[in-house]
Amino acid sequence: MESIAYIGVGLAIGLAALGSALGQGRATAGAMEGIARQPEASGEIRTTLLIALAFMEALTLFSFVIAILMWTKI
Amino acid sequence: MRTMEEKAKALSDIMHHMEPQHVFNLGPVSIDTTVVNQWIAMLILFGLIYWITRGLKSRPQGKKQVIAEFMVQFIQDLLEPALGKKGRKYIPLVGTLFLFILTMNLLWFIPGLMPPTTDLSTTFGLAITTIITINLIGVINNGLKGYLHHFAQPFAALMPLNIVEEAVKPVSLSLRLFGNMFGEKVVVTILFILLPVLIPVPVMLLGVLMGVIQAFVFTLLTVTYLTTSIKGH
Repeated sequence: MESIAYIGVGLAIGLAALGSALGQGRATAGAMEGIARQPEASGEIRTTLLIALAFMEALTLFSFVIAILMWTKI
Repeated sequence: MRTMEEKAKALSDIMHHMEPQHVFNLGPVSIDTTVVNQWIAMLILFGLIYWITRGLKSRPQGKKQVIAEFMVQFIQDLLEPALGKKGRKYIPLVGTLFLFILTMNLLWFIPGLMPPTTDLSTTFGLAITTIITINLIGVINNGLKGYLHHFAQPFAALMPLNIVEEAVKPVSLSLRLFGNMFGEKVVVTILFILLPVLIPVPVMLLGVLMGVIQAFVFTLLTVTYLTTSIKGH
């Protein structure tokens, strides 16, 4: 019966990665359009983009921590 | 190349490397490798700061002082747009957080050491100390009434939501930093078992970049929480 628990672990990390990838792709698309319109602002846009990516990554990492906890308890 | 059974056995062997090992006992307290690594990071920072500030002049002539002034200017540029001139009081707090977390995250470069931020104890200690300090700064600046009043903004029905948000801040800060560094450690360790030849190098570079970015994000969030605590929403 423990093999079903492994499916839970894989599902947790997979869904979290899916949501984060969608959000980060959208943010990067907006950032690239901003840089294309105004190349002088590219330094500031790059900094803001990195901060926004770190925030979205954090949500994936919460789920990753839960997945590790589940994995070591099986 | 190893066979699948050898790889599986190696995987289960290294699992105990992921946890901090016990080093010695200081009275009734047991000291782990995490604490020793933190001490090493502190010693590196003390040595670096002592070396940089040895010959401080009013007009900087060497490169050392220019780098130190650049560091201070960097932190001041984070604080000043939000808080104005009064923000200079908080440069030591924010700057120490940034330098300490940066040094800890870059401890991969000393062979045999792991960054202590891969342990949840370190990041949780940092996060909860920071949040308690920020709340105390809010009480000192606005008085007890002002501090409780800022929970009731924008309107009083949101007070439970504001309290929950305040309680979640240490959790989110600590889990963000811990998750990034621990995930990096797990990925690099497993990659070393499966494909040890050349593939781990880009992943390790990415890990170093993420360590620097996470130190910066922790500092930026501290500045943001400090601003909302002093000025209100």
